[in-house]
Amino acid sequence: MEIKVLEKDDSNMRFLVKGVDVQYVNTLRRLMLAEVPCMAIDEVVVIENSSVLQDEFIAHRLGLIPLKTNLDEYNLPEECPCKSEFGCNLCRVTLTLDAEAKEGTRTIYSGELISENPEIVPVKENIPIMKLTKGQKLKLEAYARLGRGKKHAKWQPVSLCAYKYFPKIEILEKNCDNCGKCVEICPRKVLAKTDGKVEVRDLMACTLCQDCVEACPKNPPAIQVKWEKNSFIFNLESTGALPPERIVKEALKILDGQLKEIEKQIR
Amino acid sequence: MKVKILKETANELKIEIEGAGHTLCNLLQKILLEDENVDLAGYDIPHPLASNPIVYVRTKGKAKPKQALLNALKKAKDINKEFSKTFEKALKKI
Ligand code: SF4
Ligand code: SF4
Ligand SMILES: [Zn+2]
Repeated sequence: MEIKVLEKDDSNMRFLVKGVDVQYVNTLRRLMLAEVPCMAIDEVVVIENSSVLQDEFIAHRLGLIPLKTNLDEYNLPEECPCKSEFGCNLCRVTLTLDAEAKEGTRTIYSGELISENPEIVPVKENIPIMKLTKGQKLKLEAYARLGRGKKHAKWQPVSLCAYKYFPKIEILEKNCDNCGKCVEICPRKVLAKTDGKVEVRDLMACTLCQDCVEACPKNPPAIQVKWEKNSFIFNLESTGALPPERIVKEALKILDGQLKEIEKQIR
Repeated sequence: MKVKILKETANELKIEIEGAGHTLCNLLQKILLEDENVDLAGYDIPHPLASNPIVYVRTKGKAKPKQALLNALKKAKDINKEFSKTFEKALKKI
């Protein structure tokens, strides 16, 4: 097995895996989407709402604001020792919003949500929640909890999580007359025409769409696009709730836990 | 994750895994099918929302189906562990 990180920053990560089955990578992908927990607003108590939007509508919008998550300090409500429906300090974070438009129409942004824990705040301060016009007020208390993406998409720590096969492009030079049709049609600019022949410029950008093969006037085509069976390029984009490498590590931990649990029970 | 044994004979095993889905079962099926003692392995989710997957294993000759499943679980754990280690190493390299 071989893994190479191709790109990484605070919220994105792209890595290359070699020597694993597609079923295993797919399991990881599904775990990241549906089982790695993160924080989201789950319950809202509206104290005052004189805006044009209904309470439920606002609650839904609040739920979809990604929150920075600390998985080490908080428990999933169903696993918390408090066993209470309302929650305790270990499974719930309270955020408050008290906004009023005193001078005319204005937009309320996620940055106006005040959290009791300065670590659990919206990932960005400039996510618009709604507009208020002069004299309107919105006052509410929101409770954020940990949850899993399989219950609601607001608990999904990733906005993009996908893999593709590692491409393999073969150009049969003796059949190719260097017409350049394949270079022209490629939407990802993978191929380049250099003196006398066609070359692969950026292999990893290839999406395996096969457009170049179809465009080739030769029969059989002088270009072939295939893929390596056990090599993948994994692309991951976090919503900002958790760092991307943490999401991968959590998925690995969850899988290990599930396998151990089944093993224990059938032994 | 709760496991219920629905059927167990000398060569067959049928279990229901509460709370699992394609995520886990597809991986298990693939690993089970790699085992040369396994005659048939598969899973079914009778209803996409309202039911749990049912995993079925049938082995050849004297091989015990339960053992085949345990071997598959062990193999999956090993792959996971190796991935984990390799991933940590790859993170250190950047
Ligand atoms: S398969 Fe598609 S993306 Fe890849 S080289 Fe051909 S045209 Fe470009
Ligand atoms: S389209 Fe075919 S013949 Fe033309 S340059 Fe590409 S591979 Fe060669
Ligand atoms: Zn609690």
